[in-house]
Amino acid sequence: MKGEVLIKAENVSKKFAKSLKKSLYYGVLDLISGITGKDQNKTIREDEFWAVKDISFEVRRGECLGLIGHNGAGKSTLLKMLNGLIGPDEGTITIKGKIGALIELGAGFNPILTGRENIYNNAAVIGFSKQEIEAKFEAIIAFSELEEFIDMPVQNYSSGMKVRLGFAIAAQMEPDVLIIDEVLAVGDLGFVLKCFKQIDKLIPNTAIIFVSHSMPMISRICSQVILLERGRVDFQGIDVAKGVNKYYGKFTNNTQSILLDDKVIEDFEFKIEADKNTINWNDDFKFTISFVNLKLTKMPYFSISLFDKENKPIALMYYKEKSILIEKRKYLLDFCHKKMQLSRGVYSINVTVNQSFNNNIIYRINNVQQLFVDSEIEDLPTFLLETYLTKLN
Amino acid sequence: MSNKDIAKLETRIYSNSNKYSIRQLLRDSLKGYKSSFYLAKQLAKRDITSQHRQSIFGIFWVILPVLMNALVWIFLQSSGTINLTATAIPYPLFVLIGTTVWSIFGECLNMPIGTINGNRGIITKINFEKEALITLGFIKIGFNLLIKLGMILFFILYFQVVPTVSIVLFFPFLLLMMLFFISVGIIISPIGILYNDISRFIPIALQLLMYITPVLYVVPKSGLMQKIMSLNPLSYIITDIRNTLTAMPIENGIFWLFFLLVTLFLSLIAMVVYRVSMPIITERMSA
Repeated sequence: MKGEVLIKAENVSKKFAKSLKKSLYYGVLDLISGITGKDQNKTIREDEFWAVKDISFEVRRGECLGLIGHNGAGKSTLLKMLNGLIGPDEGTITIKGKIGALIELGAGFNPILTGRENIYNNAAVIGFSKQEIEAKFEAIIAFSELEEFIDMPVQNYSSGMKVRLGFAIAAQMEPDVLIIDEVLAVGDLGFVLKCFKQIDKLIPNTAIIFVSHSMPMISRICSQVILLERGRVDFQGIDVAKGVNKYYGKFTNNTQSILLDDKVIEDFEFKIEADKNTINWNDDFKFTISFVNLKLTKMPYFSISLFDKENKPIALMYYKEKSILIEKRKYLLDFCHKKMQLSRGVYSINVTVNQSFNNNIIYRINNVQQLFVDSEIEDLPTFLLETYLTKLN
Repeated sequence: MSNKDIAKLETRIYSNSNKYSIRQLLRDSLKGYKSSFYLAKQLAKRDITSQHRQSIFGIFWVILPVLMNALVWIFLQSSGTINLTATAIPYPLFVLIGTTVWSIFGECLNMPIGTINGNRGIITKINFEKEALITLGFIKIGFNLLIKLGMILFFILYFQVVPTVSIVLFFPFLLLMMLFFISVGIIISPIGILYNDISRFIPIALQLLMYITPVLYVVPKSGLMQKIMSLNPLSYIITDIRNTLTAMPIENGIFWLFFLLVTLFLSLIAMVVYRVSMPIITERMSA
């Protein structure tokens, strides 16, 4: 059964002024029209632009909406409107239930005071009553794992420790609507995993809006995404993979960079034997390497690795090393990987030339080519592995 | 969750509509003050403890400025450097009460802009009842007030002034004055947050104003200063508040009645202005 709609945005827009002087002046005008109850000027004034334009969506209890887009696309502005900090210039936002916001962890902390005292401050700021704080106090300290340092001034905490304490407090909220901005970036891996476990616990009873630049996290939690571009919707839908891939598509970087060159070989070239570097899923992946040998006597080993859009290494194209003597001339090598089962997307290729396998680097080039894999199935994991249902018992 | 429970969920609607009903706003504002009281108390505790934890003399710094200012004038008067009209009560007491009340008045006027600016970090990030900031400022002023009153009490005892029944009017008068200036402070705060010209101008204006108010000397019997001071409503406030503490009769009963009405009206306006302007200011603070 679908939960009830807790967050509803209808044609929400917000404008901002680019210059401070204008912004302040418009602020005064808005104040006057606000207080006198006159209609505000709804059109774009000089030096203004739409930071968010015509956004509409619904989030039900148990659902999570991911907001993605590059810096300055309008995500934070939209979050501020959803959180009720600023009002929209156009449109309406309706929110039902208790709102919890993980936008700024540890707001209201005072550096001089101890962690213990600051738990009260921050908890009060994010809306706890005194009874609630006292009831949850031990749970907060336990979750933060900072028992040892809880009576130390917060100014001596590391940024990670502050985030720990901040999240531990915020995690005690039992909201109907939860707004999460990129806040967990500082914690160590163990703590981030713990936070996500906590968020997982909240998901069934909460409508969540999640902003992140981490696509794996988006695809892990979200049931729908909105991709923002200059304040407007570029993609919106429940096909999270499609939205994420569209987001990745905005950052194609096709500049090679040579990191190391011992001048032992020259004219290094890497070519993908496919039209526009695009192969279909499960096709053979063929490529060639050519180079001119200057000083080597033996065929070097080419260590070819594939990186995904997050620039994470995902595969090494391994082949058996063969001991071949070479002369000082140009060589052309053909390679083939049968049945490429990477999922749809862009992959960049790095090549390291070693004198022998994993030994004595003589040449290294990053992003030498980009490989595009096309597939009918839009999917997020890196590999789409061909599998057969072999038996039905 | 049944449909009945859903209906119970608090619904918030954010839109660009400028149409508001004053009654609704006032009701929301009162609700805001009430529900955010614990937060305000907690933040006040935070500010006061952190301020004094990093200091050796602690609360002494609250009375030092007042005391210094008074000492200068006591010295000028007693050494005969300046010649002032004689006061009905010992001059040091006269000056001390005058400067203390004046400092409270200044704190009240500056408080809304100061507290809002001091808490920008949470205003632009967290949605809470912004009325908490006013309560917060009020509690902090109240804390300083207690220390200053302690000092005055000490001098009243020292000069053996025995207050009369009129002392019961001291707190109502003082609170009324505070309410008046906090309201004025709130009404100017939206512009004062956007442009810092206002917060720079206030101290200068206050300094000037002090010399045309009977803070350091009594209203002369005649002359230009007498005319100016009689036009300055602050004269009546300071004089009568001082009178309630020093067994002197209240001079301006009618004025206080009028002042009460004006203050009540102003504080209602302040509540409306504050509620309407906070989202607009937040937007310009974080933009």
